[in-house]
Amino acid sequence: MNVMITGAAGGLGRAMANECASRGYNLFLTDINEDGLTCLKQGLERQFGVTVTTMACDLTNTESVDKMLDVIDKHGIRFDMLLNVAGMDYEGEFMGHEREKLVKIVLLNNAATLRITHAIIKRRRPGKKFTIVFVSSLASMFPMPLKATYAASKRFLLDFATSLRQELKRQDVNVLTLCPGGMVTTPGAINGIKAQGFWGDATTNPLEGVVRNTIDRALSGKRLYVPGMLNRILSFLGKIIPSTWVAKVIYWRWKEVSHNGSAS
Amino acid sequence: MKTVVITGASSGIGLETARLLARLGYNVLGIGRSEANCNKAKELILSENTNAKVEYFLADLMQQREVNRVSEKINAYLNERCNGELHALINNAGCVRSWYMTTYEGYEQQFALNHLAGFLLTYKLLPALKKAQGRVIMTGSDSHKGIKVHWNDVMLRHRYNPLTAYKQSKLCNLLFAKGLNDRFALDGIRAYVVDPGLVNTDIGNKDTGFLVNLIWKIRKKHGVSPDVPAKTYAYLCEVKDVPDGLYFYLCKEKNYSNEVTKENADRLFELSERLCDIQYGKVGMT
Repeated sequence: MNVMITGAAGGLGRAMANECASRGYNLFLTDINEDGLTCLKQGLERQFGVTVTTMACDLTNTESVDKMLDVIDKHGIRFDMLLNVAGMDYEGEFMGHEREKLVKIVLLNNAATLRITHAIIKRRRPGKKFTIVFVSSLASMFPMPLKATYAASKRFLLDFATSLRQELKRQDVNVLTLCPGGMVTTPGAINGIKAQGFWGDATTNPLEGVVRNTIDRALSGKRLYVPGMLNRILSFLGKIIPSTWVAKVIYWRWKEVSHNGSAS
Repeated sequence: MKTVVITGASSGIGLETARLLARLGYNVLGIGRSEANCNKAKELILSENTNAKVEYFLADLMQQREVNRVSEKINAYLNERCNGELHALINNAGCVRSWYMTTYEGYEQQFALNHLAGFLLTYKLLPALKKAQGRVIMTGSDSHKGIKVHWNDVMLRHRYNPLTAYKQSKLCNLLFAKGLNDRFALDGIRAYVVDPGLVNTDIGNKDTGFLVNLIWKIRKKHGVSPDVPAKTYAYLCEVKDVPDGLYFYLCKEKNYSNEVTKENADRLFELSERLCDIQYGKVGMT
């Protein structure tokens, strides 16, 4: 099984790579951080003895992606699975950020994800089942003030994935969308969770469990995975409560948390 | 003058041990993660004795490339100013993680820092330790008891629990010390593990979640001051007749887990060599 993982050098990408390598899958890893890819390749090969190929790539840059695809085609690599992990966020008020920084969120989370998804579906292994995972977020379930661009970009992925799934159903392709709550992927994430006190711990999903279930569910043909009972309840509430109310509550809460966070 | 390298030397047990050994006339080379804390620690030690020999090096030791980088600097320092001799290495840096988190290599962070970092650093400094017939001292804990190494899932990806990961990493400290003694006692190198007891440090409050934070805040109040365990490290550095024991508490030998067997020590040694891509057998053979 050949698996492509984008954003592989980040916390979630590394966990996904570990999970796939432990299953004996061969990996093609990409990320903008070349050093991170090199370290991860070493770690995976030492631990699991699988074949790991890495290539640094800026997915928001067409030329950079074309270069990577050339290498893939030259070696005739064909894929059985694509894990779209690459994504980014800048928290805080929309008007509090520089213009191009905000645009970059959509360029990576959406435009680049479409680019790589299109390219890799074209390079699926012929005659075999193909699996795609989109990493969306619990944030895709609500409008989220102070995470407005990010939440909307993740909503884009959720809706897009549902449609794509329908289009590709007859071609032996499954598409799963992962909508996790907070996960501890970076040291910075810990401070965010700490600032939320008890609720921070309660809505945090264990990374190692999430990645294992994600791969299991994607392979068994599921559509959506929202890890954690509390998060499933929250996502259900997001569907029945008017979105203006949700926005109000979330705005309140995040204001308070970011206040706590900066005070501590 | 004897030289000692101490990891995690900018706070807690490492800092107190650095202070004590500096007072005893050691040339102290500390490693820490935060520049501000390292500067503060150095100032503190110099304020107690302006003639103290103390130097701090910055490194985030859970990342292997940082261990490689800082060990090159330390080896250069040792060769330049200490005749290439290192009398003691104290692998003290440790952490607690509330959640499964990985290093750049994708290794679980408690295993990576509490065990692998010391394993790799000791390897890098082994020629200098051999030259001085030095000692390697690990910061262990009585929590190493009542657990086995999860050989099939040493990074605990299947059932991560902060305490399990911590206990296992502390058992690894004992297994590593035994592995070192089995291999290098004839070269004059001896390895020990110190049980510091319950100590009032911030280990459970650094980068942990609400629950671990809360538990540790309550628990550490019952702990002794870090200058208590520092004496045991100093004792193991200073004592002339090399003690046979492996595990020390308040300068005395203590019983350790039945899991500390040659078989397990060899198995961990082999696994760690693979995870660090090194071979101890080849040290000095160039």
